[in-house]
Amino acid sequence: MKSRQYQRRQLLKASLASLGAAAFSPVPVPGVFSRVAHAAADAAANDRILVVLELSGGNDGLNTVVPYGDDAYYRLRPSVGIPEKKLLKLDDRFGLNPGMAGFERLWKDGQLAIVHGVGYDNPSFSHFTSMAYWHTAAPNSGDDYGWFGRVADAMSPRAQPNFLINVDTAQSLAVKSRVHTPVVFDDPDKFMRNAFLQEQQVLELGPAAVQEANPTRRFLDDVARSAREASELVRQAWARFPAKIDYGINPLGLNKVAACIAAGFPTRLYYTAYRNNAFDTHVQQNDLHQRLLTYTADAVLGFMRDLERLGVADRVALMVFSEFGRRVPENTSLGTDHGTANVMFFAGHQVAGGHHGVPPSLTDLDGTDNLVHTSDFRRAYATAIDGWLGLGAAESVLKGRYQPFPVFG
Amino acid sequence: MPSRPLMKTLLVPTLAAMLSLAPGHAPAVSSWAGDLTPVTAAEWNAARAAHLLERAGFGGTPEEVQALAALGPAGAVRRMVYFEGAPEASLPAFDESGVFDEALDDFPASRPATTDLARSQGEAIGVRVKPAGNRRMQPVVNKFFYWLRASRLETHRLGYWWANRMLVTPRPLEEKMALFWHGHFATSEEKVRDYRKMLGQLQFLQAQGLGDFRTLLIGVAQDPAMLAFLDAAVNVKGAPNENFAREIMELFSMGVGNYTEHDIREAARAFTGWNFEGTRFRVDDDRHDDGVKTLLGRAGPFDGVGVIDVILEQPVTADFIAGKLYRYFVREDLDPALQRRLGALLRDNGYRIAPFMETLLSSRDFHAPESVATRIKSPVELAVSTYRKLGLAEVPGVPDFNDATGALGQKLLYPPTVAGWAQGRSWVTPGLLLERGNFALDVLFPDISYIPEDRYPVSYTGAEIRAVHERVRAGQDITTATKPLDKYGGGNMMSMSNMNVDRDEDFNTRFASYRGWQMAIERVKPIPRTLARLDLTGMVRSAGCRTADDAVRYLEGRFLTVALDEPTRRELADFLIRELGTGDLEAAESFAEDGLRLLLHLIMSRPEYQLG
Repeated sequence: MKSRQYQRRQLLKASLASLGAAAFSPVPVPGVFSRVAHAAADAAANDRILVVLELSGGNDGLNTVVPYGDDAYYRLRPSVGIPEKKLLKLDDRFGLNPGMAGFERLWKDGQLAIVHGVGYDNPSFSHFTSMAYWHTAAPNSGDDYGWFGRVADAMSPRAQPNFLINVDTAQSLAVKSRVHTPVVFDDPDKFMRNAFLQEQQVLELGPAAVQEANPTRRFLDDVARSAREASELVRQAWARFPAKIDYGINPLGLNKVAACIAAGFPTRLYYTAYRNNAFDTHVQQNDLHQRLLTYTADAVLGFMRDLERLGVADRVALMVFSEFGRRVPENTSLGTDHGTANVMFFAGHQVAGGHHGVPPSLTDLDGTDNLVHTSDFRRAYATAIDGWLGLGAAESVLKGRYQPFPVFG
Repeated sequence: MPSRPLMKTLLVPTLAAMLSLAPGHAPAVSSWAGDLTPVTAAEWNAARAAHLLERAGFGGTPEEVQALAALGPAGAVRRMVYFEGAPEASLPAFDESGVFDEALDDFPASRPATTDLARSQGEAIGVRVKPAGNRRMQPVVNKFFYWLRASRLETHRLGYWWANRMLVTPRPLEEKMALFWHGHFATSEEKVRDYRKMLGQLQFLQAQGLGDFRTLLIGVAQDPAMLAFLDAAVNVKGAPNENFAREIMELFSMGVGNYTEHDIREAARAFTGWNFEGTRFRVDDDRHDDGVKTLLGRAGPFDGVGVIDVILEQPVTADFIAGKLYRYFVREDLDPALQRRLGALLRDNGYRIAPFMETLLSSRDFHAPESVATRIKSPVELAVSTYRKLGLAEVPGVPDFNDATGALGQKLLYPPTVAGWAQGRSWVTPGLLLERGNFALDVLFPDISYIPEDRYPVSYTGAEIRAVHERVRAGQDITTATKPLDKYGGGNMMSMSNMNVDRDEDFNTRFASYRGWQMAIERVKPIPRTLARLDLTGMVRSAGCRTADDAVRYLEGRFLTVALDEPTRRELADFLIRELGTGDLEAAESFAEDGLRLLLHLIMSRPEYQLG
């Protein structure tokens, strides 16, 4: 409770600072962003790329990184608990779900960091609401912009084309930015306007050469140009990208990210997801969940291999999260219900592989038989913002101070 | 009562000319910026009337613009704000499907809560647990999912009802204010799970949106939808929950930074015991903390209304609300000095919204170049104004209104969080800009592949539900029929040796999800899937257009709020000539429709079409 009040004070201060900021001026925004401008310039020089993979639906962390060494796990999950002999053991306490050969490989190579017990106070059990909290990094509150969008604004207070890419059918709240127009597409071949052939010529027309006094009109012209250019660039990048690496059954957009990196996009921030609440395993969980994790691990391993092939593996880090974990005791349908604290992952060459954070107790549960988190999820965000991207902007982006995990040293 | 049919054919070039001559190419800060004095009759013209209709309503046809212009500046604003001279809005009430029954009134918070209740009481939500047999609680869980689906589908119909009102009401500001307040006092059916409460809140906002802010704020704080949305029921004496109080102060009245955490805790105490029963507000006196609270410099045994009065005494409250209204109706860029003047204006009017809006909408600042055609229409405004300018009498069923606006980022009655929707430039990204053009294409050349989702479940669990449906009808047992689908190949569905054994369980959630859907669509009235019946040929011909150039200028004037440049007009006219094989509209009259629709799609695909 006390830390929450502290965070609220930070939120008030940061918001006050941003209240005076002119929202859409082309000059760097004062207040909040000016003091990170230097850090942003440094970050720009280091060229690092951050990729976020969202697993929607509430991934069951306890059946992903299984605490097989704890009896309570089997006591509370007599049917859904995974037998020890099936697990891909990491050590004498934890083992990975049998489907995650890809993650086991990364773990052995020291390129996988597992962060335990991540969550937030007064957790919501609604997919929609909890995901919005993760997207805005404003639990039990709200923000006009996404945390990823705010990172983009901190990295580059001036708008830059194609700075943020969101692989999805609709723009995620996470990437909503004050300054940048995120490029949002799902199928690169379909990232285009529906129009009849004969309309194309007129649709390609740009704005008038005359200096436009209406600033909103100028903004719209910029976005229209970005749409024309980005859609063309994305389609070309995709067409030229050789499918040499096996990403498994469902690449989860990571191959499209690799294609953009390979094409030399200036993009530093990529966001993609395993969509449609795929991980919402209420019923007959085990087979399905193992499949989902197999696809996920295969896609992530494929992505890492592709980055190595492209010679950019040192510049890219991946963060994986879900909007909540699942309830500790299984339900009566051989599944699990919505929960709270969860594991997160960081993957990449520069990751300090191993366990981070504190695994939550399986017996000291809250009033709804759910895990009590041991770290606020914004610590993981701070890890990405300051630890990886080196922005020194985590406090202003997250509107509070959250200590990064030592994932990136 | 001036009516000027002869002016019609001359109207369009005049409008367009006026638009391009409008002081939109002026230097940085125009002389009218910040000037709250009213525009005079000498300064009034059709372009200003069009701007007023766009902002205080959802735009209109050239005839509607002309009728408004004829009232003069003061008369036009009084017409929009006080409905002076506007016909009675005899709009139909919401046509309920009849999906609700009393047993659903106290709806449990979750499926586990429902089944726990059923286990302990032997029944829940009006359904008893079966005395014997397998899946004894299945009927209970079926009804649980029935209500989730039925309330959602009925709320989609509610969105349609509201959109239709926006389209045809002779009092558009009533609906536009409701839309504004809906974004301000954001509440989503996603959590509320009761279309009745959403309807009640909407009707309140429609009735009180131009009333006084005190009535609005108290009404919303006592509104069952809001109370459900913000978990007011858990805020009780001895265990105050700050969420409700925090949102009231932070989002609804004062804005962040203008109160302390202590103020919030004290305010929370004042709201304890505030609850709802079905669709009615109720105070649980024994749960209300009636002790003395100190907040914002005042002390007293305040209840919620008392706290609201203390909040309204704060100068910052009037500034906050006035600022929000200004940014929505005029422009985003508001300097603090002007905001304070607007706050004083609102305060001096006793927090009454109508006189405040009258001043705002009459002012030179409202008509300054900084304010005209500089606002990006929200998805709902884009759709409704498109339909209005096309002269439609009803919102088409294809494209589906909620799907279309939702794809653009705004679905009525489903704001993403309690903070509402981020407005302005947030509405536009490269993909969304392309999508707005695709919406226009869907209106002009309907999607024949469209399958209505209120009859054929598609999103989220749609594929699963349909799979269960097929398998159950093929005679499979429920356990087998509800095995999860494997969308990505490698279906391993027959691998388990106990595959054909029907599990012994209390209920099956996936079957309930399927049956609940089926029960819901049996009750919820279908949204009529009518398409817009367009006649662009008739529209341009009766406006006196004879050539391709005329058609371009007419459509530009009718649909856009800014002027195109000559090269663009030339390209558009040449396009139409290529399509028709001639520039002579009279000669092409019998086959001009397709070409005109393509031309309109091109115009609606322009970035400028987002400006209102």
